[in-house]
Amino acid sequence: MAKLREWLDERLQTREIKHALLDRKIPKGVGWLYTLGSVSLFIFTAQIVTGILLAMNYVPSPEHAYLSVKHVTDQIPMGSVMRGIHKWGASAMVIFVTLHMLRVYFMGAYKYPRELTWIVGVLIWLIVLGFGFTGYLLPWDQKGFWATVVGANIAEQAPYLGPWIAKLMRGGDQLGAVTLTRFYAIHVLILPASLGLLVAIHLFMVIRQGISAPPEREPRRPG
Amino acid sequence: MTEGMDAGRREFLKRGTLILGGLTLLGLAIPSGVYVLAPLWKRSEEEWVEVAAVSEVPVGQPTKIEFVRRKKDGWVTIEGRSSAWVVTADGRQFTAYDPRCTHLGCPYRFDAAQGKFLCPCHTAMFDIDGNVLSGPAPRPLDRFETKVVGKKLLIKPAVEKKEG
Ligand code: HEM
Ligand code: FES
Repeated sequence: MAKLREWLDERLQTREIKHALLDRKIPKGVGWLYTLGSVSLFIFTAQIVTGILLAMNYVPSPEHAYLSVKHVTDQIPMGSVMRGIHKWGASAMVIFVTLHMLRVYFMGAYKYPRELTWIVGVLIWLIVLGFGFTGYLLPWDQKGFWATVVGANIAEQAPYLGPWIAKLMRGGDQLGAVTLTRFYAIHVLILPASLGLLVAIHLFMVIRQGISAPPEREPRRPG
Repeated sequence: MTEGMDAGRREFLKRGTLILGGLTLLGLAIPSGVYVLAPLWKRSEEEWVEVAAVSEVPVGQPTKIEFVRRKKDGWVTIEGRSSAWVVTADGRQFTAYDPRCTHLGCPYRFDAAQGKFLCPCHTAMFDIDGNVLSGPAPRPLDRFETKVVGKKLLIKPAVEKKEG
């Protein structure tokens, strides 16, 4: 093991990489709240793994979607666990990414020089919500179907562009087979690729700039 | 805090992180592994199909019986026509042959005059017990399981994989 490390380091200077990634200087006072980003990263990873596995047994068509999901749940060993992790992970993802964002906000960590990290973060947050919205339709059950009908109707209420947006979302006037395939493509191709890229940029900036120090409490003025 | 205590705390946290992290990863990896490898130990479940009334099968005369077979393919059930050659010597014990030649799978027929099964593709010949008499077939005709329930003949149209 040590030998292999030596061998790799000699060629690729892996020690430097490890040093840059893991042996970073951390300001005083950093605590649990600063782990929320890493929690989000872990959940994202779990979502990728379970999502890929679910996709092995899923068909995005009105005839097959519900049955294939049911097959995963009832027939495939550990299928219900995979679905469970992916489903609960989806909620956990929204919650923890939002908490992470709130911690950054309330500590003022979005300020100079970290504006770009924040902006990328906001995009990430929108993508996470997009995951939730598109994923909800995929089992093609009553709940997912009607939630999406409602979602599209809400989009339709937007002034001027609303009807166009709703039509694009559904791929037509009615929610149907075309909606399901486009939601699927967005959920498993577009969003993961975008999120992966943005998270990479996000983490690069976090590591490059180092973590911000917690804001200092103003000394209490004698009242 | 002294240096020694600091190092101890550091080591403790490092180990704790590795152990908890490792357990969490295992918690994800094990179910995922089972899920991916599941097809390896999945047994194909063929079901019994009622193919005929016992009295309908002529004694001593191999008969091709057609039936509808429901096959599970993942989450879909496919209905397909299927058949078997059924032989009985006494109307109580039944033998059912897979209607595909054991050479390359052609449907063979029974030649009543010769009392043999003949395959048109490469002239394999089988006797009424399914044994190879001549031709390129590598093994006797494949058999389906049969059973009689009440007055009905049931077949399980599946052959275990054989060499050859
Ligand atoms: C998949 C989602 C996300 C992942 C994996 C992620 C990951 C991380 C990690 C590991 C850190 C290091 C410090 C910490 O954990 O608090 C961090 C910092 C930061 N994140 Fe995120 N993040 C995500 C979403 C967001 C969102 C939605 C925002 C804001 C809209 C955001 C804004 C920031 C900012 C400004 C910092 C720098 C904080 C500082 O230096 O104190 N992130 N992120
Ligand atoms: S397939 Fe029957 S003899 Fe070749």
